[in-house]
Amino acid sequence: MALGSVVCSLPFLLVALFASGTWGGGSLSGDDLVAELETLRSQSPSGVIRLDDRLVSRFLTSAPVPRPYHLLIFFDAASLRSKPELHLPQLRSEFAIVSQSFAAHHSGLPTASKLFFCELEFGDSQSSFSLFGVNSLPHVRIVSPSTRVLLDSEAMESSAFARLADSMAEFVESKSKLSVGPIIRPPPVSPRQIVVLLLVLLVASPFIMKKIVAGETMLHDSRVWMAGAVFVYFFSVSGSMHNIIRNMPMMLNDRDGRPVFFYQGSGMQLGAEGIIVGFLYTLVGLVLAFVTHGLVRLRRVAAQQGMMFVAMVVVYWAVGKVISLDNWKTGYSIHAFWPTSWK
Amino acid sequence: MAALGEAKPGGTLRHAFGGVLGFFILLLIGVLAFSIRLFSVIKYESVIHEFDPYFNYRVTQFLTKNGIYDFWNWFDDRTWYPLGRVIGGTVYPGLTLTAGTMWWVLHSLNVPLSVETVCVFTAPIFSANAAWATYLLTKEVKGTGAGLTAAALLAIVPSYISRSVAGSYDNEAVAIFALIFTFYLYIKTLNTGSLFYATLNALSYFYMVCSWGGYTFIINLIPMHVLLLIVTGRYSSRLYIAYAPLVILGTLLAALVPVVGFNALMTSEHFASFLVFIIIHVVALVHYIKGILSTKMYKVAITLVLSVGITVCAGFLAILVALVASSPTKGWSGRSLSLLDPTYASKYIPIIASVSEHQPPTWPSYFMDINVLAFLVPAGIIACFLPLSDASSFMVLYIVTSVYFSGVMVRLMLVLAPAACIMSGIALSEAFDVLTRSVKLQLAKLFQSLPAHSGDTTSESSTSPNDVAKVDKKVLIKTEDLKERSSKKNRKKDKETVENAPLKSRSEKRLMVLPLAPSAVAILLLVVLGSLYVIHCVWAAAEAYSAPSIVLTSRSHDGLHVFDDFREAYAWLGHNTNLDDKVASWWDYGYQTTAMANRTVIVDNNTWNNTHIATVGTAMSSPEKAAWDIFNSLDVKYVLVVFGGFVGYPSDDINKFLWMVRIGGGVFPHIKEPDYLRDGQYRIDSQATPTMLNCLMYKLSFYRFVETDGKGFDRVRRTEIGKKYFKLTHFEEVFTTHHWMVRIYKLKPPKNRMKGKSRKPKTSSKPSSTPRKEETYRKNPWQ
Repeated sequence: MALGSVVCSLPFLLVALFASGTWGGGSLSGDDLVAELETLRSQSPSGVIRLDDRLVSRFLTSAPVPRPYHLLIFFDAASLRSKPELHLPQLRSEFAIVSQSFAAHHSGLPTASKLFFCELEFGDSQSSFSLFGVNSLPHVRIVSPSTRVLLDSEAMESSAFARLADSMAEFVESKSKLSVGPIIRPPPVSPRQIVVLLLVLLVASPFIMKKIVAGETMLHDSRVWMAGAVFVYFFSVSGSMHNIIRNMPMMLNDRDGRPVFFYQGSGMQLGAEGIIVGFLYTLVGLVLAFVTHGLVRLRRVAAQQGMMFVAMVVVYWAVGKVISLDNWKTGYSIHAFWPTSWK
Repeated sequence: MAALGEAKPGGTLRHAFGGVLGFFILLLIGVLAFSIRLFSVIKYESVIHEFDPYFNYRVTQFLTKNGIYDFWNWFDDRTWYPLGRVIGGTVYPGLTLTAGTMWWVLHSLNVPLSVETVCVFTAPIFSANAAWATYLLTKEVKGTGAGLTAAALLAIVPSYISRSVAGSYDNEAVAIFALIFTFYLYIKTLNTGSLFYATLNALSYFYMVCSWGGYTFIINLIPMHVLLLIVTGRYSSRLYIAYAPLVILGTLLAALVPVVGFNALMTSEHFASFLVFIIIHVVALVHYIKGILSTKMYKVAITLVLSVGITVCAGFLAILVALVASSPTKGWSGRSLSLLDPTYASKYIPIIASVSEHQPPTWPSYFMDINVLAFLVPAGIIACFLPLSDASSFMVLYIVTSVYFSGVMVRLMLVLAPAACIMSGIALSEAFDVLTRSVKLQLAKLFQSLPAHSGDTTSESSTSPNDVAKVDKKVLIKTEDLKERSSKKNRKKDKETVENAPLKSRSEKRLMVLPLAPSAVAILLLVVLGSLYVIHCVWAAAEAYSAPSIVLTSRSHDGLHVFDDFREAYAWLGHNTNLDDKVASWWDYGYQTTAMANRTVIVDNNTWNNTHIATVGTAMSSPEKAAWDIFNSLDVKYVLVVFGGFVGYPSDDINKFLWMVRIGGGVFPHIKEPDYLRDGQYRIDSQATPTMLNCLMYKLSFYRFVETDGKGFDRVRRTEIGKKYFKLTHFEEVFTTHHWMVRIYKLKPPKNRMKGKSRKPKTSSKPSSTPRKEETYRKNPWQ
């Protein structure tokens, strides 16, 4: 996606140069600007126009107010794309999806030329960033027709980024009164891949059928199901669902940059923490099952003795670890109740 | 049988002894389950807890007073004024009918217990029942020993205690018993193939449907298990008897419950059972035809039957798909969808996502709610696979689904708890079985080899497995002598092994032992693990889950403080207001007001009408005059607010206020959340917005508050309040409780109009209200 937009930006620049050369910097009518924006839009596969300082001045600062269009601008920075916590590439592709959905629902309608999706890259257009007063990313702004000073344009709340394309569409609808319509996402598997998959399935189906009839697949092995059941258990008790729903990171870094795996406080947990404790929960049960069902079959007494010793040490350690971690995390002081005469 | 005959002289006696012992153990487990839930009564008093139980209590009172038919047709005009609520058709009646029946039986035996006492102790009684049901279910799966262990674990599992302490009179209290009992009857039918149990199973399912919305779990889990058995080629006539009557009778009975009604046929949650019902019939037909035809004919027939069957199935499938697709949510309720796709709720249903019960749990929640069982469950799962039977595959399915669901919603930990107890019971029982057997046999060898000096057993035990049978007999005879002297516990354990172990494998199992010393230590460790569980459960029952939340206590250096303000306020309302006066408060306190003060409320905890709640929210968020207009139009006489700033009670109305604004603004757009926030922050100090400082909730909460300490310091928000001295124009304070936690205000009668105009009493002034109506049209959403 990033590579694509870089390649696309070259012809944009040429077109823009050509356009500015022909018409000069003088005041243009709104219709001309709209036509120009439409040309630029048609050159981008997703319909997102790549702006730079010159285009910002052309379409925003020096264009007569009220302008006949809204611009929705996504602020991007190639240098920050590698930072995982900003989710810039993901947000950029969501932005493109909103753009495509808008184009699909409004093609041929007069509303299509009321809203244009644009992006600004920090490296190309630092002065525009300061015009908008943008100093943190991710950032999305809408410039309405009547905005004179770019600083006054409205920014999308940073908390809304969590819901991606849907919230961007809502933001557009609330600020511009133009409805984006239902978001059209590209199917996760392309049609060509589907055809290939179907072919593979078709070729493999006789072999699979034969295996199933003969009862030789992995699904006929109860041990596979046993492992599956234990895994589901591990998955749930480790709180993975919490991590998925809340998008929790695996770990955090404290001020000194050291990794923090355990979060104190019972309402929240980190990914690594859940996996570690879930593993301890499951480990004890597996060891117990091994002793009761596996070790008794062993004939060598010395081996039995050694393994039982190891198993007991492991179980003791794991249970103790979980109890101490739990006390540390929740702050509960669990105590027994003794008869008063014993004190 | 041969082995039993061998052990004949002592066998019958031991059998009887074991039975009696088992009976007493079960009795003690019941006592344990009941008594561990009494902490709330001992530490506080015999009182109904929280919010929903008060509603259930009031319904039970009505039932005992007016009888079943009036209850069924009860239209309650004390709530949701002026709309009212049809109680008979909108509640799950299981709990109230149960408690009502218990009360009725006691009274016909001349035991004069009050309805409240019966309600308070319903949950502990049913916990004991649930423990016994667990014993029965686990016994069907893995034998008596596992059953007793599982029952003992369930009796004190914290997750279940949290919903069933004495006074917690809610649906879950009886529903968990019904759930386990239904599963037991299903497994029992599956094991015996008896129509008697199948019928009982349908009745038990009916009781579950009466009790709790969670019955959908049963009607999806059992079909899943039936399908699993069919797919794995374990179809039998027993399976047919276990399933077909349940679907037919169960669905018919379920449709009798008014709150379920035709949902039992029409919603997607039930479709799985119908689909499996069709499949099982097709499979049964195939089996029948296979029985009456020769092999050759059968092959011809099977193609015919299969093709016909598939067409029929496809037809039904098409109908189902059409039915499902025709409904907007594809026939699934939002809650079920959020179970299947966990991220669904957080994306689309903020109301479900915002409730704390619907949050996904973190790992400490598991440790808090099932404690050391979390360690034992995997061993139980593995034990269920060795060997996999019809019953044990059901348990595996149960634990896997429930543990997954509990990972999505912390509330469903309650459904996981029985499964975890059963699995842990199986694991513990098998571990004890192996370890005690090892200790016993090793000791026997030790005793035998010491006096005889022959060493034959020790040498033979390491010889080839072919000699096992011979050695076994010797050991068996020796141990018979030893058993007479061994402890009671050992005898019982031994009885179980005799009973459970398949007789053929028994002789082989005899020598599958572990070394003596490590086994003894391992037993000790398991006992320590069990006592950790007991300590945790007692602590959880005593400290964490017993607070009734209607009476609050706090322990400080100068002793125990009791805050009984809620009941003080409700009693004041009951004694000092007219029977027909309407009281407005936020919906949380609706059930308590109707139950304890017997006054009509505008909204209550059954949040079925969002507009009505939004109206109250709007009134609370409006300035005094506008709020007075709204309340007056609803005939409200008194307004009740809960205020924690004086004693530091955090869940008061000021902390809930943003929800009132949000819900009010959702219906009446002139209420805007940003008006109440300063730079996105919710504050009540001098930086608060004028809208916030002038809204009714602020004024009613902080009226005269500055008189308490001279500064107006709010102990919950930890700040001085913004506006300290103000007067109320349209409301007057009539009662404030001892600790200022509940404050009751009366609406002032409308002022006389202009001088010289007609001075009609305001209550009947229809014509004079018309100009006002136009004037305040925008401000009062209710008119």
